[in-house]
Amino acid sequence: MAIALASPTVTGPTFLARTVVARRTARRSLRSAVLWGYVFGITVASSAYSYTTIYKTAAERQRLDAVFGANRAVAALFGPAVHLDTVPGFTAYKSSMAVMIIGAVWGLMHSTRLLRGEEDAGRWDLLVSGETTLRQAVLQALSGFAAAAALVWAITFVITAAVGQASSVRISVSSSLYMSAAMVSSAVIFLAVGALTSQLAASRRRASSYAGVVLGLSYGLRMVGDAVPGLHWLVWTSPLGWVEELRPLTDPQPLAFLPIAAFTAAAGLAAINFAGRRDVGGSVLGERSSREAHLGMLTGPFGLTFRLMRSSIISWVVAVAIGGALVGITAQAAGSTVVGSSVEQVFTRLGAAGAGARAFLGVIFVILAMTVGFQATTQLGLMRGDEAGGRADHLLVGNVSRSRWFAGWLLAVAASLLASSIAAGLFTWVGASLQGSGIGIWSSLAAGVNIFPPALFILGTGALAIGFLPRFAVAVMYTVLGWSTLAELVGGFVGESHWALDTSLFHQMAAAPAVAPNWQTSAVLAGLAILMAIVGHQALLRRDLQEE
Amino acid sequence: MSHQADLAIRTQGLAKQYRDVGALVDLDLEVTAGEVIGYLGPNGAGKTTTIRLLLGLIRPSAGRAQIFGVDCQRRPVETHRRVAVVPGEANLWPELTGAETLHLLGQVHGAVDVVYRDELIDRFELDPSKKVRTYSRGNRQKVLLIGALMTRADLLLMDEPTSGLDPLMEQAFRVSVGEARERGQTVFLSSHLLSEVEALCNRVAILRQGRLVEVGSLSEMRHLSAVTVEATVAGAMPDLGGVAGLGGVAIQGKALRCQVQGPIEPLLAVLMKSGVESLLIRKPSLEELFLALYGQNSYHARER
Ligand SMILES: Nc1ncnc2c1ncn2[C@@H]1O[C@H](COP(=O)(O)OP(=O)(O)O)[C@@H](O)[C@H]1O
Ligand SMILES: [Mg+2]
Repeated sequence: MAIALASPTVTGPTFLARTVVARRTARRSLRSAVLWGYVFGITVASSAYSYTTIYKTAAERQRLDAVFGANRAVAALFGPAVHLDTVPGFTAYKSSMAVMIIGAVWGLMHSTRLLRGEEDAGRWDLLVSGETTLRQAVLQALSGFAAAAALVWAITFVITAAVGQASSVRISVSSSLYMSAAMVSSAVIFLAVGALTSQLAASRRRASSYAGVVLGLSYGLRMVGDAVPGLHWLVWTSPLGWVEELRPLTDPQPLAFLPIAAFTAAAGLAAINFAGRRDVGGSVLGERSSREAHLGMLTGPFGLTFRLMRSSIISWVVAVAIGGALVGITAQAAGSTVVGSSVEQVFTRLGAAGAGARAFLGVIFVILAMTVGFQATTQLGLMRGDEAGGRADHLLVGNVSRSRWFAGWLLAVAASLLASSIAAGLFTWVGASLQGSGIGIWSSLAAGVNIFPPALFILGTGALAIGFLPRFAVAVMYTVLGWSTLAELVGGFVGESHWALDTSLFHQMAAAPAVAPNWQTSAVLAGLAILMAIVGHQALLRRDLQEE
Repeated sequence: MSHQADLAIRTQGLAKQYRDVGALVDLDLEVTAGEVIGYLGPNGAGKTTTIRLLLGLIRPSAGRAQIFGVDCQRRPVETHRRVAVVPGEANLWPELTGAETLHLLGQVHGAVDVVYRDELIDRFELDPSKKVRTYSRGNRQKVLLIGALMTRADLLLMDEPTSGLDPLMEQAFRVSVGEARERGQTVFLSSHLLSEVEALCNRVAILRQGRLVEVGSLSEMRHLSAVTVEATVAGAMPDLGGVAGLGGVAIQGKALRCQVQGPIEPLLAVLMKSGVESLLIRKPSLEELFLALYGQNSYHARER
């Protein structure tokens, strides 16, 4: 009767069990790490090659340097341009800002997705049990991110070094190593920031918006520091400023790695520490899982919609206000160097004719219009999410008609876009007045209101798509927004392609305050938006609700 | 037969076609006001499709439906006044608390019996101060159940309402449906659980691959009251050919499993001759029943 059961040998958790989160994180980072390493490398390579083919002679190179090198408007937007008369100088300038921003956005999206996103989806309930505490899991995830970042670095390095071998380019291996480290820095910083906000916030969306705020502030602070003489110290208060101060390929300043390392380590340690003090699925901020009921607004679809959009509205308005104030501060300095430079031609092509702060702000408001268009896209995403997630059903099986549901959301989003537009105008004026740039409040407010119709138009395309192709509504909006943004950039910087500009939504709007707003065009844009919403509404009445 | 206005639900040739799937085919169904009807079918049979058509959430490919004489597609908001719903999926707003969600559901319906709502909250042991984000699946289901029951609506449309509930709460649910019946409310209960429908409903409609295959009272459908017998005999398996009412017979060596309709004594008598080692008599699952009624592949045919 005695049956010998093979008793499991009692040992500690195996190495495999102890590193499951780290390996999982690294594995799930592999694809995007390879992709971005490749993109970063190609960015460097294409910058170097295009420079050597477009600017062949020393004279051409010096002219480029003279025009852009001292330009504060350029420095404000894209970072300081130094040594543009050399291949490495141009390459560093041309690739740094784009890579810095892409890296930071990837870093924060990626880490909030793999940390808070996985937790939201309940997948950590299985991983974090028994052997692995939440604290260890976050530590492991961070080491997975470190491996991913190392991979990005390695790939960028290999491509940069290979390109550097070309006789026309000539970037040494050690410079390539330094350059690629600088290029991966913003990703590293924001992987850590995302890990930290994933502990603080109770949902992935919130975690990535907190990290996004850090990114926006970093960009803004360094922008003011780069543009306004005497405020250069502001660059040192910004993580993106530190990355800029690494000055790869031109004037290396390895000292700037110090604040980068310290900040990253502090964010990582704080993340680990906070993880140790909360439950799986819980968060440090808004930890309370229960609270008094706030019934005031919950009387129907309008109140509910505002309630659901509240944090989104506040974040966007605050972000636009801060962004506006920061560009306002730089306007005077940045605008002072526009006149007589090739930047003036670019600005003129973009519709911001003239000189000085007004021309600069004309371009800035185009960028703010893109931002508010982005806001329209994410907020329509909330509406679609309520349908896709089956939550809209609860209203639509009650006394809420489809028309009321549709109109309620669109009006709420439109109101929120208008609030952001007005905030943009108001706070840009506040910033500009601080530097005495002579922009009047009414002209600034008008420029703010002027960016509302294009955003409304983008919302209109979404409303139309909600009627016909609900699953693709957000994608349709991103396409309109992305195309218009791209056409604006290409059209602005490549002189010959005016046709591109003409297809850009943002080019239809007058670049106020550089020129007077064109209210007729605005009315047409708004009218088209309303028309699209009406057509979308008719289609919505005829179709099935579509969940996902 | 029944007068038009006495009909809580009436569908005529109601159909829904998705590309290559006939989710619902030519449904003619009448539900009299005040009855509790079970809408029984395996996963993918078309139960949810039917309910969403009745609510006007999706558009029919053909046919029409009325609730208390009002067209579901043309005047949805009007029909909704007399309807409360427990949807098939427990999707709620994670940032609202249970109490806030119930408040909102009440506002959207229009009328709430507040005293009854509080009684239901107690009965289902729900803590309404918690955020929906922190609720388990079962707790979310409770919010939906309370949200529908508290309205005392004339017609309750329930799509697999007990999914995620533990047995104790299933009991609470049965009590609540009993109360609704006593008050004269109509209950349309979709389910894939035979036992649930048997316990609660006067009448059953059976749906299979989008088609209504049978409607009737439980006593009319004697075959639904079959039991499943599992037995192991000591000696050789006797010949079961002469036993009446057997279905779905599966024999493996000395083990037997089958469905029996009507009295089981004849079967037991035959088995006794070989000596019975073990015997289990239980209610069949819907899957076994479908096997016995419609043969192989009848249950999963569409899932593949
Ligand atoms: N939106 C849809 N698109 C395509 N097919 C669907 C859709 N909704 C349901 N179906 C199909 O219709 C059939 C019936 O589904 P459903 O009504 O959900 O069944 P039940 O609720 O009885 O489980 C299934 O085969 C399902 O796959
Ligand atoms: Mg279903």
